[in-house]
Amino acid sequence: MNRKTKDMILDGLTYISSGISVFVLIAIVLYLIIQGASSINWHLLSSNYNVTAYNAAVVETNPGNYAPYNGEGVYSEQYGVAFKDITTAHNDDEIQVVYIDSSSPLANMESLIAGEEGKMVGLNEDSVVQSLYYFDQSGERVFLSRTQMSDAATLVDILDNQSSGVYSINYQTLGGGIRGSIIVTLYLIVISLLISLPIGIASAIYLHEYATKSKINSLIRSGIDTLTGVPSIVYGLMGVTVLFPVTQLMGATSTSILLGGLTLAIILLPTIIRSTEEALMVVPQSLRDGSLSLGATKSQTIFKVVLPCAVNGILTGILLGIGRVIGESAALVYTTSTVINDYPTLLGQGTSLSLMIWSIMSGEQPNYELASAISLIILILVFIINILVKVVAKRFSRRLV
Amino acid sequence: MQIDNRCVKRNKLLDRIFSWLFLAMAVLSASFIVVIILFVFIKGISPFLPGYEYGQVDLLAFLTGTVYRQDQGVYGVGFIVINTLIASFLALLLSFPISVLTALFIAKIAPKHLATGMQSVVELLASVPSVVYGVFAAGVITKIVDALATSFGYVTYGGSSLLAVILLLAIMIFPTLTSMSITAIRAVSPDIEQASLALGATKTQTNFKVVLTAAKSGIFAGAILGLGRAYGEATAVAMVAGNKLFGPTFNPFDITRTLTSTMLVGLKETTGLDYDIRFSVGLVLIVVIFVSNAILNAVKKRIGNQV
Repeated sequence: MNRKTKDMILDGLTYISSGISVFVLIAIVLYLIIQGASSINWHLLSSNYNVTAYNAAVVETNPGNYAPYNGEGVYSEQYGVAFKDITTAHNDDEIQVVYIDSSSPLANMESLIAGEEGKMVGLNEDSVVQSLYYFDQSGERVFLSRTQMSDAATLVDILDNQSSGVYSINYQTLGGGIRGSIIVTLYLIVISLLISLPIGIASAIYLHEYATKSKINSLIRSGIDTLTGVPSIVYGLMGVTVLFPVTQLMGATSTSILLGGLTLAIILLPTIIRSTEEALMVVPQSLRDGSLSLGATKSQTIFKVVLPCAVNGILTGILLGIGRVIGESAALVYTTSTVINDYPTLLGQGTSLSLMIWSIMSGEQPNYELASAISLIILILVFIINILVKVVAKRFSRRLV
Repeated sequence: MQIDNRCVKRNKLLDRIFSWLFLAMAVLSASFIVVIILFVFIKGISPFLPGYEYGQVDLLAFLTGTVYRQDQGVYGVGFIVINTLIASFLALLLSFPISVLTALFIAKIAPKHLATGMQSVVELLASVPSVVYGVFAAGVITKIVDALATSFGYVTYGGSSLLAVILLLAIMIFPTLTSMSITAIRAVSPDIEQASLALGATKTQTNFKVVLTAAKSGIFAGAILGLGRAYGEATAVAMVAGNKLFGPTFNPFDITRTLTSTMLVGLKETTGLDYDIRFSVGLVLIVVIFVSNAILNAVKKRIGNQV
């Protein structure tokens, strides 16, 4: 084989290798889009994951005049409501309300649940029907269970052709939303950055502006560098042993979002320190000298001259930190628990978006659609952050040059 | 004049306070690594000490055990350590050539536009969170492994297997290996390259024989870092490992159990031996990473000296 062919084969190998990585990235994105894109809608973002059950009695029994409906689902003309068959995020087959006329008797009912009797509730597009009592043609009250109504068409058939009125309905919310997890993720971002930023920036300032070449300083540096290599699950173990007592002082009784935030703050430290330090490195020495020779003290120089020039590095650190918090899961399994909480509080448990994926995937029946939908959202966020980091870096380099 | 003096004094005091504050923060940041190791050590070692509240565990049996069943209270991590090493090394073996060739492509061979594009691809892969890789692995890689196993006449547990873990880890450490290799290749002095070209070697010969050889120390450092990642990767691995109760696993189509998946799976209560023993497993993980890094760094030094 001559030299040229050999070279071509070797070069070709590098092309193939690069092709493999492109292929993997495309495969991941495509898979998530195919599996999850259809589940991403306003309902997913705005509603609860867990379901709430309702039991309500019909007050108004006279059928009203409804606007004609030609949308999806099976429409009940007598009650002005349309149903369709769905599989929920919890992997249950349910009959969901897809449309309800505002004058429908089922849209304005009184709650029968103990403690909130008389409260006005009603079916809406977020409801799935569980069971109901209806009056048959002779006025007899009949119970219709979830198994008896089998599907949307059967339910509508019974309502329109066999009933003279509905007495009460058992229904629940659809569930499967990620609102709670979005809130937890925001909580975690704020807490971790609030703690990590001052410590990280101060450490970076010390390392770059103050530290002389000494054994202790190189020890400090290698300590911080080693943090980068610690697996995130080990951070989780540390958080629950070392930081849990700290959150207990603030009133936490179990693992909590606060504990997760504190743990993440330590995880972010090396990132914040490195990006701040890299920005400090490019601040010209002449600026420092100028400020010092004008009589400013060293700390004045740092706060008023050096740090404003290094603001892009801090911004990069914040962006990278947000990305890390959004993606982190292993450390949070131990520190915030894997209970999906729709109404998170600082000292309560909950899952971030990533942890929610883990929680769904490690359950008995993993729901790939929901997990892929959340993954897709996370991926989009992380890619946006990636682009923002580049924009920050580009703008800055232009300014200095 | 007097006011001015007071102002200067105040500034000097502030200056000193701030310098101490910066030092304190740096020491705090650096001390976390000590805190992490110390507390995981204390908590991880506690089940093996006499007087442990849930019944003392035999350390030797724990370290050499080949069965891990939390339902029976039998905890042995010997086979899990072997599983972790097997999965990580095979992932590195798979990922290493592809990463180095991709790095060479980006740093030397590709036309400029293609190189920037590829660099972005590597960066994007690096930024994908591990759970997302996990969902991808559970949804796609397991299917591929299952199909492969069927063609070989094996039956898998829905695709969860050692092979799935290896493929997943290979993908996950690829960005680390590649970006470290790119840095190493770019750091090679152009002098040696030009010398090689001047001696009549082709561009490709120079890239493969001279540049890669000169960059091998940096590339090796990337491999060490990647291996560390592979050991510690938790949630994604736990999604496809399958958690075998005994081992070690050598059949690529059989389910396996790594240190990290052991720490994550079935976590319910936050007290008791089953919870505490996870810290012991975490301690073993730290030791594995530490020992592996020490050995590989020693190897790297010897290789580096042979240039």
